[in-house]
Amino acid sequence: MRELELYFGPQHLGMVGNFSITLSVEGDRIVKATANPGFLHRGFEKLMEMRTWIQDFPLVCRINVIEPDSMEMVYAMAVERLAGIEVPERANYIRSVVLELARIQSHLFGLWGYSNLLGLDTVAQWAMYHRDLVLDLYEELCGGRVYHIYIWPGGVRRDFPEGFKDRIVKTLHTIGNSVPDYDSAFFNNRLFYDRAAGIGVVDKEEAKELGAVGQVLRAVGEKFDIRKVEPYAAYDKVDFDIPTREDGDAYSRIWVVRDEMIQSVHMIFKLLDQMPEGEVYNRVPNPFKWKVPKGETYVRVESSRGELGLYMVSDGGDKPYRVHFRTPSYTHGLILLERLLEGASISDVGNIMLSSYVVAPEIDR
Amino acid sequence: MDRGQMAKWFKDPVKMGHKYSLGVVYFATGCGIIEIPPTITTRWDAERFGVVPAATPRHANLFLITGYVSVKTLRAIIRTYEQMPEPKYLIGFGSCPINGGMYWDSYNTINSLDKYVPVDGWIAGCMPRPEAIFIAVTHLWTMIDKDMADGYKRYKKYYRQYRRNQERVLQHLEWPPLYPIGEGE
Amino acid sequence: MDKTLPEKIRENFPNADVSSVEEERLAVTVPKEELIDILSFVKNLGFDHLVMVSCVDWIDEGQFELVYIVTSYVSYNGESSGKGRQHIIVKIRIDRSKATFRTIIPVYQNAEPYEREIHELYGVDFQGHPRLTPLLLEREYPVPPFRKDFDSRNYVKEFFDSIPEIEEEK
Repeated sequence: MRELELYFGPQHLGMVGNFSITLSVEGDRIVKATANPGFLHRGFEKLMEMRTWIQDFPLVCRINVIEPDSMEMVYAMAVERLAGIEVPERANYIRSVVLELARIQSHLFGLWGYSNLLGLDTVAQWAMYHRDLVLDLYEELCGGRVYHIYIWPGGVRRDFPEGFKDRIVKTLHTIGNSVPDYDSAFFNNRLFYDRAAGIGVVDKEEAKELGAVGQVLRAVGEKFDIRKVEPYAAYDKVDFDIPTREDGDAYSRIWVVRDEMIQSVHMIFKLLDQMPEGEVYNRVPNPFKWKVPKGETYVRVESSRGELGLYMVSDGGDKPYRVHFRTPSYTHGLILLERLLEGASISDVGNIMLSSYVVAPEIDR
Repeated sequence: MDRGQMAKWFKDPVKMGHKYSLGVVYFATGCGIIEIPPTITTRWDAERFGVVPAATPRHANLFLITGYVSVKTLRAIIRTYEQMPEPKYLIGFGSCPINGGMYWDSYNTINSLDKYVPVDGWIAGCMPRPEAIFIAVTHLWTMIDKDMADGYKRYKKYYRQYRRNQERVLQHLEWPPLYPIGEGE
Repeated sequence: MDKTLPEKIRENFPNADVSSVEEERLAVTVPKEELIDILSFVKNLGFDHLVMVSCVDWIDEGQFELVYIVTSYVSYNGESSGKGRQHIIVKIRIDRSKATFRTIIPVYQNAEPYEREIHELYGVDFQGHPRLTPLLLEREYPVPPFRKDFDSRNYVKEFFDSIPEIEEEK
């Protein structure tokens, strides 16, 4: 059979995000896949070198639109480490709550894309509605639906408004109570099993070799989670499980995501119960005249797609000398995806891509 | 909103048909795409306004440029725009296509979208809310009524200038001119 | 393991400059010839997760610093043991004017896109890399854009702002 070249994306119905893959196909089997990123490249790390420490905050959350809070968190952590800023206890709890809410909304967004792709549109509509409820909480907290700029070095920007805890609990009850609906319409649906089981299988050694993190790694049975391995914020004070699966296919990855969302909901309840009173923001010197001491650091957090790291070098000036983000989608989208697509069928491209959580703006930065 | 509909339907049914079935190109050009899913699903339900996502540019007549435009995306945008059948409308969504927004000093984002493709309207803000899309759509209705949404006509008329700017940024365009270059202006 | 790790490295690599940046982050600067050896060495010690390859442009010293951060995949079982937190930041310096170096793909496969990106954004040439094709950029720039001597604001002013508006008759 003749080998053809097929351009998949950036304008393509099966493509989520501005990303493109060049496929060499024989019939409908993929012989070779070449990822072609760069459609969203803005040169963030260069832009950040040209701005002062505090000016970088509105920039940094825009690297990943789906879950901006983990980006803010990793940047705040790096600055705190270099400058030696302490964070009050209450702020740590608030950060954890905000990050878990972000994880839930990001996973719901992923579920929207994934169920849309499988043709289970009803579930997609639910997922997007429930995500919007979480965005309403964010809007009340900091005024923005999508970009929050809420986590700062030294704490968070402001305390919870009055009665906010109750509204978080109410929203999470709404989402939690619909889990049986999701299960019967999607997760236990035969359609989902038939489309996802055995698709995009990766084994443990290969996943580690290719630098996989997050769901991809947890779906092969590795309990690797930065929240446990190297706890930050208030994650060491709260008890939660790391859901894993053994098979390493798209089906297990999506199930891991579902279990993670349920864990997050439980975790937020616990965090809200344990949350102490007190300050949420340690006064730091005038941020417009900040100078961060000379040094370098590498910090990491667990974003909704896996390990998110930041390598930062300061030369003692009022601007960072070098920042470099290690984003989870980077290795997933550029080498793991190419490896998984070899031998797959064209109809499974989106399936593999969404189940391994490739988010284009993170790759390009 | 749209007043005196009955008279308009009798006068120009084709225009009214276009107006109430705006198919949006499914193309995530930037981070503004994050507000499109809520807009087209249950909570905001863009279908009330006749805005439906279309699978391919050949079935669409509204192109939302959602967010910053990098040089590589500009190539895809031009190709997508040129494939759309007329009448076609293009709206810049967010601050970045207007003047660069946050990325005004980035070496890889074009700062003003209207130098390369004709824009019928802008939605300012980062991120604009879903309601802003509806306001833009209702404005677009008025503009279509008054024949002011004439981006595609301007594109044809000043194609030589647009093509010149596109070639300067992209260095090499691998597709032939959409309209004869000698004509126009 | 934490206590003896710097000693182990010093023992095997007498030329290495080992210093603790902060808790659980160990910075090791080695001569560039020894990089592959030290990476294989730490990989055998269990540091099997290459987190990232980065590059810092020290323009005043006329050097690029290539940074390889490695840590280990740990399966969490029960209690927080502190294992898996240790990171090793391996650094080498190469000449800025003659920016070529060897690829580390034989040791860590997932270095491939990182090296490709550094090649594109810094202009460092990695010998033995299977595909150093353009990754992110569309245009060609006079200097690779992430170098410190590339002035992005000036570039925008000179290039993007110089493109004329569409002149329309009223």
